Amino acid sequence: MMLRKMKLKDKNTLRKSLSYLLLLVVTVIILAPIIIAFSNAFKFEADIYAVPFNLIPTNPTLENFHALLDKFPIYIFNSFKVTGIIVFLQIITATTAGYCFSKLKWRGRDFVFILYIASIMIPGQAVIIPQFLIVQNLGLYNSHTGLILVSAFTAFGTFLVKQFFVTIPESLVESARIDGASEFLIFRKIMLPLSKTVIATLIIFSFRFFWNDFFGPLIYLSSPSLKTLPLGMADFANEYYTYVGPQMAAAVISIIPVLIVFLAAQKHFVQGTMSAGIKG
Amino acid sequence: MTFGLSLTNYTGGPNFSFTGLKNYIIAFTSPIFTRSLWITLKYVIFAVGFQILFALLFAIILNEKLLLNSFFRGVIFLPNIIASVAIGLSFMVILEPNNGMLNQLLNFFGLPSSRWLADPKSALGTIIAVSVWQNFGYYMIILLGGLQQINPCLYEAAEIDGAGALRKLISITIPGLSPVLFFSFTMSIIGGFKVFDLIYVMTGGSEGGGPAGSTKVVVLEIYQNAFQRFRFGYASAQSVILLIIILGITLWQYRQQKKWVTYDA
Repeated sequence: MMLRKMKLKDKNTLRKSLSYLLLLVVTVIILAPIIIAFSNAFKFEADIYAVPFNLIPTNPTLENFHALLDKFPIYIFNSFKVTGIIVFLQIITATTAGYCFSKLKWRGRDFVFILYIASIMIPGQAVIIPQFLIVQNLGLYNSHTGLILVSAFTAFGTFLVKQFFVTIPESLVESARIDGASEFLIFRKIMLPLSKTVIATLIIFSFRFFWNDFFGPLIYLSSPSLKTLPLGMADFANEYYTYVGPQMAAAVISIIPVLIVFLAAQKHFVQGTMSAGIKG
Repeated sequence: MTFGLSLTNYTGGPNFSFTGLKNYIIAFTSPIFTRSLWITLKYVIFAVGFQILFALLFAIILNEKLLLNSFFRGVIFLPNIIASVAIGLSFMVILEPNNGMLNQLLNFFGLPSSRWLADPKSALGTIIAVSVWQNFGYYMIILLGGLQQINPCLYEAAEIDGAGALRKLISITIPGLSPVLFFSFTMSIIGGFKVFDLIYVMTGGSEGGGPAGSTKVVVLEIYQNAFQRFRFGYASAQSVILLIIILGITLWQYRQQKKWVTYDA
């Protein structure tokens, strides 16, 4: 009995050490490219491909960031503007639609909801061409309005919110109706305050997605003054393809806002992702 | 509407005509398109396979009570919040074929260097590796959520019955996780078919897909036909084919799930 227990303990220690070893390796593999990008952003061009490679720049410089000054402030502004408006609109459309699908009864509701869900399955690229032609015919090509309009609805977000609203007791809504509250009042005064967590999840999801989105801006925007950060960054890299330093500085700048959001809301990020998977 | 367009020779101008299935015939006889389908398929199989494999491995490790648990979770999820463009640019520096950091590291250990993205033989594999690096954390978090739903009593019962680690994995973890695994597979496959950003950035922008077309995936081909050559009709036909493939695989998976997905843990 003693012997078996000892063996079990040995086995457990071995397993734990192996786990830590694997975690350590993966941490290095994941962090290394990010740290290298940060380090290269502060190097002179000639030092980036120096042999042997130096993690800490021997003569640190801010020159790479200076190279970005004339274009990047506008990209950053555009990114904040577009992402902010889209996230805001998505919250409004997803919560109101979620309310309609969960607390209101109307003919064909379930059928329309199934259509909504089906649209999640269809890859965006399959409908991008007609969507693009519609936007173009409305005269909204190369404007932020066009990009924002095609992104204002979120079937995934609606699904997430609806699933959450279903868990709110029907009796709460019923009693408010008996007291004579309008549907809008119920939605605003009862449902919204109760759904802070799901809205936080939605904000995090949409912010991350649209801050990093590349395909949408690539297709809908062409003027340099309208471009968002990922698109501006890719263009800049094409233009300066022999200068790696400024590219690394650009990458670092694009990471920082979303990194701050991530570190501040890491718990929500992780839990939101977990619940999204389980509900899906 | 995509389907309607796919039957025309629309190029954005006022004049276009109905051409029936001609676009589909052109697509299937075009070596560029059929090759892009093949490249996409290879990408999906390897990217999805490794993503789910690593996701499962680290979800199981992090489901144990370990020190710094939430730190490791955060680190593994981290690449997921970074724009593919930034990731692509950073990796291009590391993978530089001459004095890039990865080749320096390999040489340091006495291993031969590789030309990575510059060699048609290794370019697709390199991009798959980067996408696995970027995405497996997302599926790890989803699987971790699934693992925490599994009733711990099941493991205790199995231990009393003398089940080993592998036995527990096969008989409890995988069945208990199957709905979440199914979701992860579906999302990962759909994501794989849509791959675009990384390839666009890492293989030469709007003229990307190189070297020698070795990384030209379907979405890049559709993008180039629609938004550079303005062959909207032809590109629509290609989109419809892509859509049918994805829906087909999703539906097939959905039917298959009855065989291995169990909903009461």
